[in-house]
Amino acid sequence: MDSNNTMQAPIIKKESKNKIRVEFERTPLLERLKTKYLSLFFVKKLVWFLFRFLLMLGISYVILFPFFSKIAGSFMGTSDFVDVTVRIIPKDFNVDMYKYIFLENRYMEAFLNTTFLSVVCALIQTFVSCLIAYGLAKFKFKGNKLIFVLVVITMIIPHRTVSYALQQHFRYFDLFNFRGLGFPGILTSFGLLDEADGWSWLNSPTPLFLLSATGLAFKNGLYIFLLRQFFQGVPDELEESAYVDGSGVFRTFFTIIIPLSIPMMITVFLFSFSWQWTDEFYTMLFYSADSAHRWILMPDIYTTIPESLVQPDIYAGKTIYENAVRNTAGIMIIAPLVVLYLFCQKYLVQGIERSGIVG
Amino acid sequence: MDNNKTLTLGKKKSFFGFGSASLDKRKARAGWVFVLPFVLGLVLIYLPIIVDSLWFSLASMSYDSDGIMVTTFEGMKFYSDALLTDPNYSQTLIQGITDLLFSVPAIVIFSLFIAVILNQNMVGRAAFRAIFFVPVIIATGLMESINASDILADYMQSGATEEGAEAGQIISTMDIENLFSSMKIGGELVEYVTQLVNDIYDIVNRSGVQMLIFLAGLQSISPAIYEACRIDGATSWETFWKITFPMISPMILVNSVYTIIDAFTSESNVVMTYVSDIKDHSLASAMYWLYFLIIMAIIAVVALIASFFIFYQKRD
Repeated sequence: MDSNNTMQAPIIKKESKNKIRVEFERTPLLERLKTKYLSLFFVKKLVWFLFRFLLMLGISYVILFPFFSKIAGSFMGTSDFVDVTVRIIPKDFNVDMYKYIFLENRYMEAFLNTTFLSVVCALIQTFVSCLIAYGLAKFKFKGNKLIFVLVVITMIIPHRTVSYALQQHFRYFDLFNFRGLGFPGILTSFGLLDEADGWSWLNSPTPLFLLSATGLAFKNGLYIFLLRQFFQGVPDELEESAYVDGSGVFRTFFTIIIPLSIPMMITVFLFSFSWQWTDEFYTMLFYSADSAHRWILMPDIYTTIPESLVQPDIYAGKTIYENAVRNTAGIMIIAPLVVLYLFCQKYLVQGIERSGIVG
Repeated sequence: MDNNKTLTLGKKKSFFGFGSASLDKRKARAGWVFVLPFVLGLVLIYLPIIVDSLWFSLASMSYDSDGIMVTTFEGMKFYSDALLTDPNYSQTLIQGITDLLFSVPAIVIFSLFIAVILNQNMVGRAAFRAIFFVPVIIATGLMESINASDILADYMQSGATEEGAEAGQIISTMDIENLFSSMKIGGELVEYVTQLVNDIYDIVNRSGVQMLIFLAGLQSISPAIYEACRIDGATSWETFWKITFPMISPMILVNSVYTIIDAFTSESNVVMTYVSDIKDHSLASAMYWLYFLIIMAIIAVVALIASFFIFYQKRD
């Protein structure tokens, strides 16, 4: 209070019609800088800033280095792997690995097949998870909690645990069949299917589509959980006002809720697409390796080394060279995902941020 | 559309097309329709798979002359085989569970820490956020198995590291151990911490979803609370422990459970890799189910312990 009183009143000059200039005594620049930058508060802030920045930079390096090393290795020629002076920057620069993986491992075919599989699966999974999550979040009915617990349980039981039964079920597919216990299933018992055989759905995308459509595919429990939290954060008044205006439950869902949850849905789509894209377990389970007519999918790209790249046993860098070829295949597998991620990463955090998860 | 319709919504026939049931009842029916795909899939496809898998673990399988599978009930034979006869299973199980119990706190604490930092305003936040979520999108499945056998990265770094330190290690374990043993800190703790630092790539890889969940939780805390704290003179350290931590405690439970599930279902898990090499499907099923039971017990214990510490904000 005192200091305010002793300060000289600012002088106000009128420069022109609608412009004034206020002159008052300012603290000298040096003093101002001193109080601003020599305080403990500022030093603390600066230290925290530097520490935080370096930490983030360091962890980013840890995350990205394997990708750098893979990219660097993919351009190396055979002589680089035995040359002691070559570590990261290739001397014998060439693109042979990309070329032969593309031509001999049928990359294009795998790319198209996997794109089809992943896009369809991800779309179905996103939509079905939305439906289930909305039902669980916004409707109070008997068994609501039980179904949520069951969703969590389907997430907890790893499909690897039931892998053999899973494969058997889609080899001899029928609804509600307990083959082990001797009950052949609903369709067979009504005579709709040939007995003992069922439908063989291996080597086709049907098992994955079917699992997606029922919310049972890989990590769908997580999507349902995330979307349920998101829908719980949507105020009930929105729907109530729609109901009052005469809109039905489903119309409300499609015209109000879905447009509202686009960022969250993109997040879920991104997860399901990329996890399906890099999936090995299900593709190996449902596409048995010995069949001649089966689809070429991404796992086939990296498991075999293209014939033109096979090195003689006498070559000293054989193991590391083959490793580099596998890594190159890995880069080619994830390249489309990287492009997709660059476009969608903005929504990833946005969708989650808006979800407002609270327990 | 006359004005009466909006007033008599509860009796409007076309609301869901089920005649004149009460609004609550009709809403309940609509709820069932929404979850119908899951319920159908669960009963018609998933339940038989689970029951068959359990049955396989209780019965031995053989094929008769027509190639049709015949199962004979064996009782708990495969379970006792797994635990008592198989020389490696119980050891692998113990190792897998210890790995799990050690890595879960590390992942949860790490992801909370990173989420708190990524939530602050800083230079290059958008770029860091994009980089930190790269592993969860890209480095799963196929890439996990490619990375597991990747010797090239170590080879490329091997020129840069000093003698004595293993290739690819960020800090030399020896240096840190010497430093801390002179400070009289327990050897096991030091070993645990240095191991964590060296496994940082693995930890970052496995904490992507957790970071997202924590970020969402942090975003949902009202800025007004922080403002009030700052005005009352609380330091950021106090704000973290008195505001952020309680508010985010439900997320800690969710993430602990998710981390346990994720570690337990991951392909790189020691128990999973061990069991997947076993040719006898009955024995393998029994081993999987045993492991599953133990994990369920662990999750129950974690949830029970956490429920004492969780703070739920009352929302109206």
